[in-house]
Amino acid sequence: MNAQLRQTVQRGGQTSLRGAIEIVDVVKSYDQGGASVQAVDHCSLSIPAGEICMIVGPSGCGKTTLLNAIAGFHGIDGGAITLDGRTLCGQGRPKAEIGADRIVVFQNGALFPWKTNLDNVAFGPIVQKRLTKAEAYEKARELMAEAGLSGHERAYPGELSSGLQRRVEIVRALMNDPAVLLLDEPYRALDALTKSVMHEALLETYYRTGVTIFFITHDLEEAIFLGHRVVAMTSRPCRPKRIFEIDIPHPRSYDALTSTRFRELAAEISACVDEEAIKSFALGEREG
Amino acid sequence: MSDIAANAPATGRSNSIWARRLIPDLATRRALIAITAALLVWQVGATSGSWLGTPLPIIGAAPAPDAVLTAWTKLLGDPGYWQSWVSSLLRVTLGFIAATAIGAPFGLALSSWSIFRGLAFPVFELLRPIPPLAWVPASIIFWPTQELSIAFVIFLGGFYTIVLNILGGADALDPRLIQSARSMGASRWTIFRRLILPGVLPSLGVGMETAIGVTWEVVVAAEMISGGSSGASASSGGGLGFFIWNSYVGGAYPNIVVGMISIGFAGYFSSALARWAMGRATPWLKRT
Amino acid sequence: MPQAAPSNALTLLDAKALVAAALPFGGLTEATQTALAESFEQAHYASGETIFAAGALSDDLFIVARGAVRLQRKDVALESETIVSRGSAFGWTALAEGAARRNRAIAIGATVLLRLRGAKLVDLAANDPGPGRISCDDVIAAIRAIQQPPPARKTAKTATPWRLQLKLFQAGEWLRSPKPYLMLLGYAALFGFWHLAVEVLRLPRFAEMPGPSDVFREWISDNPIYGVSLHTSVYYHHILISLRRVALAFIFATALGVPTGLLLGWSKTFRDYVFPLFEMLRPIPILAWVPLSIIMLPGSELPVLFLTFLASFFATALNTMLGVKSIDPSLALAAQCLGASRWQVFRHVIAPGALPFIFTGLQISIGVSWFSLVAAEMVSGQFGLGYLINTSYTMVQYPTIVIAMITLGAVGAVTSVAVRLAGSWLMDWRGRHLATSGAR
Repeated sequence: MNAQLRQTVQRGGQTSLRGAIEIVDVVKSYDQGGASVQAVDHCSLSIPAGEICMIVGPSGCGKTTLLNAIAGFHGIDGGAITLDGRTLCGQGRPKAEIGADRIVVFQNGALFPWKTNLDNVAFGPIVQKRLTKAEAYEKARELMAEAGLSGHERAYPGELSSGLQRRVEIVRALMNDPAVLLLDEPYRALDALTKSVMHEALLETYYRTGVTIFFITHDLEEAIFLGHRVVAMTSRPCRPKRIFEIDIPHPRSYDALTSTRFRELAAEISACVDEEAIKSFALGEREG
Repeated sequence: MSDIAANAPATGRSNSIWARRLIPDLATRRALIAITAALLVWQVGATSGSWLGTPLPIIGAAPAPDAVLTAWTKLLGDPGYWQSWVSSLLRVTLGFIAATAIGAPFGLALSSWSIFRGLAFPVFELLRPIPPLAWVPASIIFWPTQELSIAFVIFLGGFYTIVLNILGGADALDPRLIQSARSMGASRWTIFRRLILPGVLPSLGVGMETAIGVTWEVVVAAEMISGGSSGASASSGGGLGFFIWNSYVGGAYPNIVVGMISIGFAGYFSSALARWAMGRATPWLKRT
Repeated sequence: MPQAAPSNALTLLDAKALVAAALPFGGLTEATQTALAESFEQAHYASGETIFAAGALSDDLFIVARGAVRLQRKDVALESETIVSRGSAFGWTALAEGAARRNRAIAIGATVLLRLRGAKLVDLAANDPGPGRISCDDVIAAIRAIQQPPPARKTAKTATPWRLQLKLFQAGEWLRSPKPYLMLLGYAALFGFWHLAVEVLRLPRFAEMPGPSDVFREWISDNPIYGVSLHTSVYYHHILISLRRVALAFIFATALGVPTGLLLGWSKTFRDYVFPLFEMLRPIPILAWVPLSIIMLPGSELPVLFLTFLASFFATALNTMLGVKSIDPSLALAAQCLGASRWQVFRHVIAPGALPFIFTGLQISIGVSWFSLVAAEMVSGQFGLGYLINTSYTMVQYPTIVIAMITLGAVGAVTSVAVRLAGSWLMDWRGRHLATSGAR
């Protein structure tokens, strides 16, 4: 296990490690206008519990397909995916069940615009009937305060900036104590300044909870700054091309961005991803 | 707009194997089942008078599908029937063209000149809530011939819709497009001809189906009302609405249903034609 | 409580350096800076101690000599936090007499601050011949401006007050623009033309038409020639009958149309079976149903209601279905991730999400209802405004036609507005979102 990972996990006081994902030889193709397109080609990846695993790759290569398969939004055509040893999908069960142990944070945000922020955050435990309304609201207020979001409980998501919205969404996910957070380019639409604030907030959250994070991004700096490992995917159909260990010590602060090691890693990963990006570009890939 | 139903948790069962072989597409299979079931219910209900002794309420009074079919096959050879088609289609086409010819410039003028808009739009909005059919008597009093009075009412029907759609489209035109054209030295006329006109075409297309629908409504209504009050008048070329009314008055009930279905087809056909024409006029709008 | 200066106090030289470096004191002459440095007191604070609370009356201006201070601002419109460290000056509200603190200041770590009475700074700076005095004045003016009560429309405390305020503001703006006057001019042109054409010039085509004065006179007369005016009960009878029919048909069509539309959008099974039938029946114009409905439905009232209902139903169901389709699918997926069952997704995501489209559909549907109602009343049924128009025509009572037409328009508009208001009231979240995002 990544030495940095072990260190952060121990710091966070996590003793029972949850959220280990095994992607074994997964194959997935889908139908696009009559033609069959292969998105994922015999992809295998092992993500230990508590790791921040960053997935980078060119547009349309199939990363989101992989995330959707883990989340259970669609099925796979071959191979298997397990979580903490339990099979999510595989032989005999092509599609995983969508569940609160793997919660997705979407690219364009998926807070319910017609509910207040507090209602949004408390949504999970209430519909699952794990907590009473009063308990859920109390816990929601606590978590929001922890994340520095108090004062916004009674506002609607539309009244907040995108950055704040993302943070509320992450808190909403964490209310349910998930084993894995699946993030599909959540900060893509944010400006650079807001992004850096988001990164620090995410890391702070991670240090507190130790949740496994599966994070898809195009932004290499984001990937190196946040992740324990960066997995560079090939162009479509995707499979891991090369895995980089990020040996920058945790806890990380933003001056890590200018460190030599960071720059070295950025250059390495960039060269690796650019190769695939050029292939994608030549194929005329559209956004997946 | 994506298909949320496709993502909904699935509950349906699939049909039997032989049905699946015959018609592979699930949606078509189900459609056929629904239509057949509806026809059966209709047939059974309409003939309930004979096999049940007393007719069932409401459905029992309807003309039966087989009677309708027989009537239709007879009418296919009747030139008067086809003449009705022609008359109605002619009225709809002319009415729609008139509504567009006057409505489009009016809408564009409303959008381009704020003084004109301040003067004319309140008057437009004042008159709009009065249903077109309420104008029939006033129209008959005013116009010298019956045909003209009907044409005026038909024109009114489409006019309101088209003006609103064009206005909406013109208002929504991205001002940056116009600015960039101006900065490239385009004259006012060029901007109008090459930017504004093509720019509002899509919104005209969107409203077209509604406008044609409204026009058909008014045409049928006007044909029925004028036919009903002035009696049989071959010179005015009754049209399908008149045909229906006449069949009712004459007691040929199955013909009523034939007329209704004919209008349905004619309406669908004219919408499809308009959509095709719109598609040719706006090739830059991709249809996915 | 701040303690008296201990032995490791700052020297005057240190203080002078701090003053010179702190904006905007740097702009003052050296003499003033020295005078300031001498006037500054030292105050020591322990970690976490509150230096001043938000809303407190301000006396003192501070410069951070050692340590750091957290400035927190939390009010309804804004929430922010800043950290200032050595060399920074804060507490500028001390310059404006009687001003209340906007921030709450908390010491981070053991902190030493230079403290000066705001009024003293104003005195010292006022006599300074250099440019620094001007910047002091600016700061004072700025603080006074900021201390004005925040504009009411920024508060989001309760739903009604801010919206009322917004409406009043918009109404004021409207009255100040040329719009209402052009509008009146337009109306005048319309009625003027009508009056001219019929009553003054007596143009040939307009010969038999009633003019506006005829209509108006008839409308307000106690004893109308044709029996229908504001003072006759039969007028209101017709209005009420039409209204009642529209209301019944509309309510029924909504009650049936919204669930149908929701299901059509949400359930593929339902859509596969029902939508083909729906789309086959929809193109048939409403009036084409008249004879069939007369044949099949008993009585003379039911056909009218049915026709009005039918038009409304199709419009509502179709728009509701489009509303469901317009919902971002990730919302439904997110709800499922959070553990919602199928029914819960429907209740918490689909139904509220489709509301905007549903209300657009309802506005269309009320318009369509009136359209069908008038047509139906003209052909069958007793009483009602459409019936009135028809009979007035056949009985050659022309002014009454116009009265009925105008009444129709007015009543139709009122019902449309009522539906729209109900919609915006129900969708408070959308109103707030649109208002704060600056949309019209």
